[in-house]
Amino acid sequence: MKQFILSLALALRKSKRYRAVKEYVWELLNGTGNPYKKYLDTFIIFLIVTSVFILVYEVTNPVPAWLDYYDFYFVSFVFFVEYILRLWVHNDLSKYIVEEYHDAQFLHREFELWPVLKHGFKEKLNYMITPAAIVDLLAIFPAYRPLRVLRIFVLFRVLKLLRYTKSINQFVEVITNKRFELLTLLFLLFFIVTTAGIAIYVLEERINPNITSLFDALYWSLVTITTVGYGDISPVTDAGRTISMLVIIAGIAMISFATSVIVSAFSERLSELKESRIIEQINKSRSFLIICGYGQMTKMFFRQKKEKIDDYIILDTDIKRVEQARKDGYKAVQEDASRFETLKKFNVEHAHITILCLTASDVENIYITLNAKSISRKIRVIARVNDINIVSKFEYAGADHLLMPNQVVNTMIRTAITQPTMYKAIHAILTGKSVARIDEVHVHEKHSMVGKSVAELNFRSNKLLFIGIEREGKFLFNPPSSEVIQSYDILLLMGRQISLEYFRGRHEGSL
Amino acid sequence: MMSERSILLFGYGNHGKFIAKGLNEDGFRLKIVESNHDYYLQAKEDGFMDVEHLDVTNDSLLEVLNPQYFEQLVCVMEDEHLNVFLTLSLRSLFKESYILAISDSLHTTKKLKMAGADKVIDLYEVSANKIYNILKRPVSTKILEGIVMDKDGITFREMLIPEGSFLQDMMTDDVDFAPYGILLIGMIDEELGHTFVFITTGINHKLDAGDTLVCIGPKEKLDAFEEEIKKEKSIP
Repeated sequence: MKQFILSLALALRKSKRYRAVKEYVWELLNGTGNPYKKYLDTFIIFLIVTSVFILVYEVTNPVPAWLDYYDFYFVSFVFFVEYILRLWVHNDLSKYIVEEYHDAQFLHREFELWPVLKHGFKEKLNYMITPAAIVDLLAIFPAYRPLRVLRIFVLFRVLKLLRYTKSINQFVEVITNKRFELLTLLFLLFFIVTTAGIAIYVLEERINPNITSLFDALYWSLVTITTVGYGDISPVTDAGRTISMLVIIAGIAMISFATSVIVSAFSERLSELKESRIIEQINKSRSFLIICGYGQMTKMFFRQKKEKIDDYIILDTDIKRVEQARKDGYKAVQEDASRFETLKKFNVEHAHITILCLTASDVENIYITLNAKSISRKIRVIARVNDINIVSKFEYAGADHLLMPNQVVNTMIRTAITQPTMYKAIHAILTGKSVARIDEVHVHEKHSMVGKSVAELNFRSNKLLFIGIEREGKFLFNPPSSEVIQSYDILLLMGRQISLEYFRGRHEGSL
Repeated sequence: MMSERSILLFGYGNHGKFIAKGLNEDGFRLKIVESNHDYYLQAKEDGFMDVEHLDVTNDSLLEVLNPQYFEQLVCVMEDEHLNVFLTLSLRSLFKESYILAISDSLHTTKKLKMAGADKVIDLYEVSANKIYNILKRPVSTKILEGIVMDKDGITFREMLIPEGSFLQDMMTDDVDFAPYGILLIGMIDEELGHTFVFITTGINHKLDAGDTLVCIGPKEKLDAFEEEIKKEKSIP
């Protein structure tokens, strides 16, 4: 038996397929990255809603048999499978067994199966007694037909919604954050209810016909303190009424306290919740911009009405600037981009991220650059440098592109004064005016232009000016017409937009 | 010819300092005006002779400077309010002068234009544009910047076609620039008015003496070409 379990565990451990399937199921149930997760979620929510609908409908109307079967067997079966799968992926028994086996071999001690299994099952059991798992289990119960009472357990299926809807999750999270206050309140409530209940029981049990047991007294006490006051039980003696009055006052105080606790909990977390929504949303896109700092430069960047940018997020540490950005209609979040945790929130692994460090402080920009590069080299960083003397520091930090507003402008002014004609040309080229766009054509290995010479491509007939080739990081200016285009070359061309597009259309096709 | 060109520079702050240095290198006659005493001293220290310390809000003091004798007035005061005010004063006092001003926000750009500056260079517009270019065309932006900043030895140059040059009466399409190792980007055709046209618009231009060519290429090749176009047409 032991030998069989061990070899099974070893086999499972070795099987890549098994692990991949398990990982996939885990991702589907608990992860966030799986693209099919939302379909599963919608499906489960649909099952829950129909199940509850049937429960309500059934009260006064006869339900067709197939619907009954659907509710009792299909829904329950799906929930059962889900429960088992969750239990399965919670931890990895085979891993524990194999590890223990290797350890035992290493130490030359006898391999004991039982302690490992105990440990593994204990972990599973720990999972089973979490509230979420209990709800899952109870939601399967209505399948048991003979016990009619179990029908009410359908309502546990509603609780399952907690798992599948994010906003409810966040609500619960907010409430659990105020656990201490709410527990204090609950304890106080319990204390007052019992005291008042016992008092009324002692004082009126013999006089008041409505109070016959301690349960009646406690029920009256709770109904009164919550200001519900059904009136089915009411005190008849002066002493009883005095207690009522005290209970009512305590009730009002407690309700206002409870309300304020919950409201403050929400107002504290509201902006945070909103921000996490924005981040979640942006993480869904495959490539996006993170703009650090909402100052002059960022504003100007957005005012460039060339192409609309949708996938971006603005981070700023100053709440005033964040509010300004929101007022201006941009997606902004108050976060410190120089902190590791902040950038870690983004989908660094799967998305193509470009960070624009546009804050006015060089120190901050360098810090953000380093932070981004330390998380992933894949993140592209465009940094603003104010002080020309520290350019090399940005290069060490790994910034991909540098922006030097002062230097660019100084050069522009100098050119504008000394060579006014050229200023126009350079300005037009730099701003990408339509007649003088300088654009790059990235040569792909399958493009038809690979292997052709510059002369063959005949740029001139397309009204294009061929400026040069960037090859393996080196720029060849105005290469001779015999030069042959290679894969992964980047051609620098100048011309009108339509000429460039025409050229691309003709030569970017495959052979 | 170059020494005649003169600039009246208002402001010796971050930008003024750089511009003054550059213009000095290019052989311009330069007069610096500064209202901030520290900057004034800095300018003196950096070796500029013709530096004046005066209150630029005072019109009578401005008139004494005789701006009309300068080719361009360049306003790059650190304080943007002062810069706008100065531009306005200069415009109202001297209708004919060519005024160039620097701006560091969209609002200021608008105000400077209203105040009558002939050319406004917007610090943030230029940079914001660059971000776009980096995002859309990373490689060409890097190379272009190298060219503009004159980093890799390749640069822009404008050249006047002298009287009697062999280029005279040739069409742009017929000139083969390949042997010279440079590229023609565009030109100012005096026949069509004093406007700049890019070669890539596809219009064939007739070259005349007095036209200006804007070329791009390595410095020494540009120098060689500049010498070359002075030669007369070789007799066939």
